[in-house]
Amino acid sequence: MSTTLQPETTRTLVPQPKRRPFGVWFKDKGWRHLVGVVVTLFAVFPLLYVLSAALNSNGTLAGTKGLFTQVDIENFVKLFNDPARPFGRWFMNTLIIGVVTSAATVFLGAMAAYAFSRMRFTGRRVGLLSLLLLQMFPQLLAVVAIFLLLSGISDVIPALGLGSQLGLIMVYLGGALGVNTYLMYGFFNTVPQSLDEAAKIDGASHVQIFFGIILRLVTPILAVVALLSFIGISSEFVIASVVLTDPDSQTLAVGLYSFVADTRSKNWGIFSAGAVLAAVPVMALFLFLQRYIVSGLVQGGVKG
Amino acid sequence: MKLPNSSAMPVSRRVFTIGAFSAVTAVALSACGGGDKTSSSAPATAQDLAAGGASTITMWVDAERSPALKDIAAKFKADTGIEVKLVIKDFAAVRDDFITQVPTGKGPDLIVGPHDWVGKFVQNGVIAPVELGDKASTFSATAIKAMTFNGSNYGVPYSVENIALLRNTALLPAAVTTFDEAVAAGQGVVDAGKAKYAFLVGLDPKQGDPYHLYPLQTSMGSAVFGLTPEGGYDPKNLVLGGPEGIAFAKKLVEWGDTGSKVLNSNITGDIAKEEFKNGKSPYFLTGPWNVPDLQKAGIKLAIDPLPTAGDKPAQPFVGVNGFFISAKSANALATTEFVTNYLTTEAAQDSMFATGGRPPALKASFEKASSDPIVAAFGKIGDNGVPMPAIPEMDAVWNDWGATELDLIKGKGDPATDWPKMAATIKSKIGA
Amino acid sequence: MTQVFQSTNDAGHVAPPASGRPPGRLARARDHGPDSIKGTLVKVVLLGLVDAFAVYVMMMLFLSESWAILAVAALVTLAINWIYLRKGGLPAKYLAPGVFFLIIFQVFVVLYSGYIAFTNYGDGHNSTKADAIAAIQTMAQKRVPDSPTFKTAVLKQDDELFLLFTAPDGAVSLGSSTEALAAVTDAGTDSTGKANSVPGYDTLNFAQVVANQDAILAISVPVSDDPAEGSLRTADGSTAYAFKPSMVYDAGTDTFTDVDTGATYTDNGEGAFANANGERLATGWKINVGFDNFVRAFTDPNLRAPLLSVVAWTFTFAIASVILTFSLGLFLAITFNRDDLRGKKVYRVLMILPYAFPAFLSGLVWSGILNPQFGWLNQTLLGGAEIGWLTDPVLAKISVLVVNLWLGFPYMFLVCTGALQSLPTELDEAARVDGAGAWRVFRSIKLPLLLVSIAPLLIASFAFNFNNFNVIYMLTGGGPRFEDTTRDIGSTDILITLVYKVAFGQGTGRDYGLASALAIVIFIIVATVSAVSFKQTKALEEVNR
Repeated sequence: MSTTLQPETTRTLVPQPKRRPFGVWFKDKGWRHLVGVVVTLFAVFPLLYVLSAALNSNGTLAGTKGLFTQVDIENFVKLFNDPARPFGRWFMNTLIIGVVTSAATVFLGAMAAYAFSRMRFTGRRVGLLSLLLLQMFPQLLAVVAIFLLLSGISDVIPALGLGSQLGLIMVYLGGALGVNTYLMYGFFNTVPQSLDEAAKIDGASHVQIFFGIILRLVTPILAVVALLSFIGISSEFVIASVVLTDPDSQTLAVGLYSFVADTRSKNWGIFSAGAVLAAVPVMALFLFLQRYIVSGLVQGGVKG
Repeated sequence: MKLPNSSAMPVSRRVFTIGAFSAVTAVALSACGGGDKTSSSAPATAQDLAAGGASTITMWVDAERSPALKDIAAKFKADTGIEVKLVIKDFAAVRDDFITQVPTGKGPDLIVGPHDWVGKFVQNGVIAPVELGDKASTFSATAIKAMTFNGSNYGVPYSVENIALLRNTALLPAAVTTFDEAVAAGQGVVDAGKAKYAFLVGLDPKQGDPYHLYPLQTSMGSAVFGLTPEGGYDPKNLVLGGPEGIAFAKKLVEWGDTGSKVLNSNITGDIAKEEFKNGKSPYFLTGPWNVPDLQKAGIKLAIDPLPTAGDKPAQPFVGVNGFFISAKSANALATTEFVTNYLTTEAAQDSMFATGGRPPALKASFEKASSDPIVAAFGKIGDNGVPMPAIPEMDAVWNDWGATELDLIKGKGDPATDWPKMAATIKSKIGA
Repeated sequence: MTQVFQSTNDAGHVAPPASGRPPGRLARARDHGPDSIKGTLVKVVLLGLVDAFAVYVMMMLFLSESWAILAVAALVTLAINWIYLRKGGLPAKYLAPGVFFLIIFQVFVVLYSGYIAFTNYGDGHNSTKADAIAAIQTMAQKRVPDSPTFKTAVLKQDDELFLLFTAPDGAVSLGSSTEALAAVTDAGTDSTGKANSVPGYDTLNFAQVVANQDAILAISVPVSDDPAEGSLRTADGSTAYAFKPSMVYDAGTDTFTDVDTGATYTDNGEGAFANANGERLATGWKINVGFDNFVRAFTDPNLRAPLLSVVAWTFTFAIASVILTFSLGLFLAITFNRDDLRGKKVYRVLMILPYAFPAFLSGLVWSGILNPQFGWLNQTLLGGAEIGWLTDPVLAKISVLVVNLWLGFPYMFLVCTGALQSLPTELDEAARVDGAGAWRVFRSIKLPLLLVSIAPLLIASFAFNFNNFNVIYMLTGGGPRFEDTTRDIGSTDILITLVYKVAFGQGTGRDYGLASALAIVIFIIVATVSAVSFKQTKALEEVNR
């Protein structure tokens, strides 16, 4: 880890295609590639079993026969041709629920983080601590409690109760404050207060400061939170399976489990195929958000 | 740090006006909605069904049964106007979800599951008895016996399942009767270099698998529970720890890692299936659920009776799948009609067999299915079987039972002390 | 300072509630309150929508006569309006929406668990006493042995429902709950010989039967004056059987009496009916049991014996998981935080993959990889060694940690990558000018800065792993078992899996009451540890302020 970084002339000047000695290159960048390759192998290797099973119509996850001994796309074909299990529909449901929830989570969380970071009020410290502690309660009964709650809501407003995607989104929003708020709160704290003060002197309202300055400066963390909550929601299974009962309204996670729900005849091949496809939106979203995550701190504002 | 407030006074009044306006709209809207409800019930028609909330039956089903039930549900809808909504649920959680949800009145009307859930359901008061009347005699006796709990029938059976010994006829053309003979024959194939394992049975490396090993245990005269005078399992009479059980425990050590290594706890169900599919073993102790994949892979199968390790018959656990009616169904009459008069028909049971491949519980359908010698052979073995205990106390048995068997197979522990210790632990858990 | 002006100016264009006025006017706007007209309008409309919805909800509550909830809903609506309409109280304006959902969906879960801890809720005590009595009565209805099957039709006369029975021998009779069974001679029959009409009565078709099903299911027609012959009932509207109860409930004395043995079962105060010998009827109901569950939690021998080693491992597991995932995540984040590194996008995407797959699928794959005889690790990588990665007590612990690292490092990698962006790039340059090495820059400047935003997450991650049921259950199920105990407890069991086994693995089945009590005890432990660590983060925060 104790690698000395070379003074980087290349960074400030126009990139120069000069050939550098291997040792220098390795000290600067090469080791990073080495780390990248090793960790990628660690990260991806177990998933190759999943991919292998997905591409093999006789696939199991036992993996005693070696990977990719047989490659066909029968599992994917089956996945999309089962009227009782509308995979395409599930895919859309997951996208909609995931996008709506993560957008709302980012918004609610950012508002709370702004309050905690920029304002001083009674109960602030206690509020922060309770947010943290609330996450630690063992959720052994969560499903039962949420079922009872939503069944109560169903009696009053059926459109928000059991079987409703909107109801599910609301349940997910219950977790909007929490770890995410902390992540944003910490990041907000690193934005100098002097920026707000200056803007305030210029007559900007708190709303303008929040939307106009802070949110723009913390884009990286907003993107991270959006991604984290999207991943969390797209793989959430327990609550979704209790809330969404109609096959047409289910999410990918719930739907996919039905392929392996039977203890005796699990269809690992199709399940793996579905899981592989389910990972695609996550990857796409990451690629899309990556430029916000690592855009570097917004150029104009802070550096001045 | 104080920031100026955002809303000036004049604004708040406008908020109220607009808020009030929207509120009035909402009131008007909801008043319209409420109007429908009060309309009095005129002559009963299909509309009445809808008004009374009786236009649908909700059924929790696993993914495999779902397509098989589509036709019969459509027929029911055509006959009665009532829709059967099939909801695919996760098998692992469905039993407990059913138990929590039924008391709220929001649970399903109907659930599909194995008969050994009945005890739990009865204990929680979530299912209602079903009187099959004369139709009971059209089902296999084992199936009806399994569905009977405390003298009442609680479900409509549709399939009967049990394990058997699968033999790869390409490796071993002839059947044997005892476990030792089977292992010897299998070892012969291995020695000839044609296979890798003499005998395969899938075990769980975490929990063992008492279910698959049970026929060997019963063939040595050991069982789990004694029977009540009425023929049900008696939770107060745990006979698992008896001398026959200890004898079986000693055998487990002989067959395990420190002995002949016939039983290998590293071989999971998936691995066993994979290896048998690749022709690496002449024998595979498993159930009908693995047969289609094996046939697809081109293995020539023969179904042999379960091998015996002692002088008693090898009795497998028989699992009966069936339909259970919620005790709090809001549509109980229609649900009962569907269950007793539609799902009991030959056509329904035929179509469930055609899609799910599980041997039907209805005798007539089973006869037809028996034209396949494999189904017939499994059924014959099942006739000797015993129903999986449905009493709630069985839940407390599996864990210790499996873990102890696993330890013995691995050669850890002494059968003479560990086996009785296991029985004592189970007894203390169930308060027997 | 000019640049700050610049960004404020931009803000005016980007932010939805702000108008696009030229920057010069901003200063004047301040005189009469800083909100623009547009912002106020948005607020008014949103609040109006919320209020409209709230009124709708209250209407529905009014119609369903849920007074208590109606009162709460009214209070909440008032509170929301008060928060947004009053002057000042700015923090509440920002916190209210999130807190609203938090209270409904998270606080409720905690409160509910707290309430359950004081009840005997669980298998056998699943609902109310009324439900239990109803269930016992239903289940006690036994068909009279050797009694015939009656084909049945449902008739109606003057709003009273009757059942028309056809015996196997063709005899037809009619009766209702109030009218005794009487033979009928003038009944009309259908093609199967089933009587389906009687002059003076309307015959109900199936749709009508279903529409009146509750009343029809309640009809019970005594076969004769002799109760031993039972009463005729129908469950499907087309067949009836004679049933007689094996248990009779007497509401006056609140007892069940067994018809055959004469034994009486009374409410034993523990949520079940029991006879003099203490034998219970299986179906009981939920009651409050006070602190019983907590007493059991502290006296249960299943818990006490192995508690010390389990607690030690729980802390080890949780702390080690945090350190490992955070170190790897941070290291990777720093490694790839270079603009000019080729392929960094590819590395990053591939590294978050473990996080994007269903965890239980990964768990299965990992237990396959770690299989002693057939797993890839032993077979391919270690050339056929038979190492019991999941069966040896020490190796199992290591395996669990490695798999948890695999599952968890992408999260830390993402979070650290995001957090690193808050570090000014000037830091590196400044430090280099001072001649400090990269490690020292990292150690004494970057890490403390990062910890400001990350420390609370590490605490949260600790708490998550403290209760990380899934990874343990998937991989080892808590095993390998301790050899010196007969209990179902092993060397990778953490507190939460232990709770699961104790509360859900006993002979009586799932015991939610005990589970909740144990959950609360665990919560107190984790919360204390976390609250103390949280105090430390305050110091961190102030340093940077």
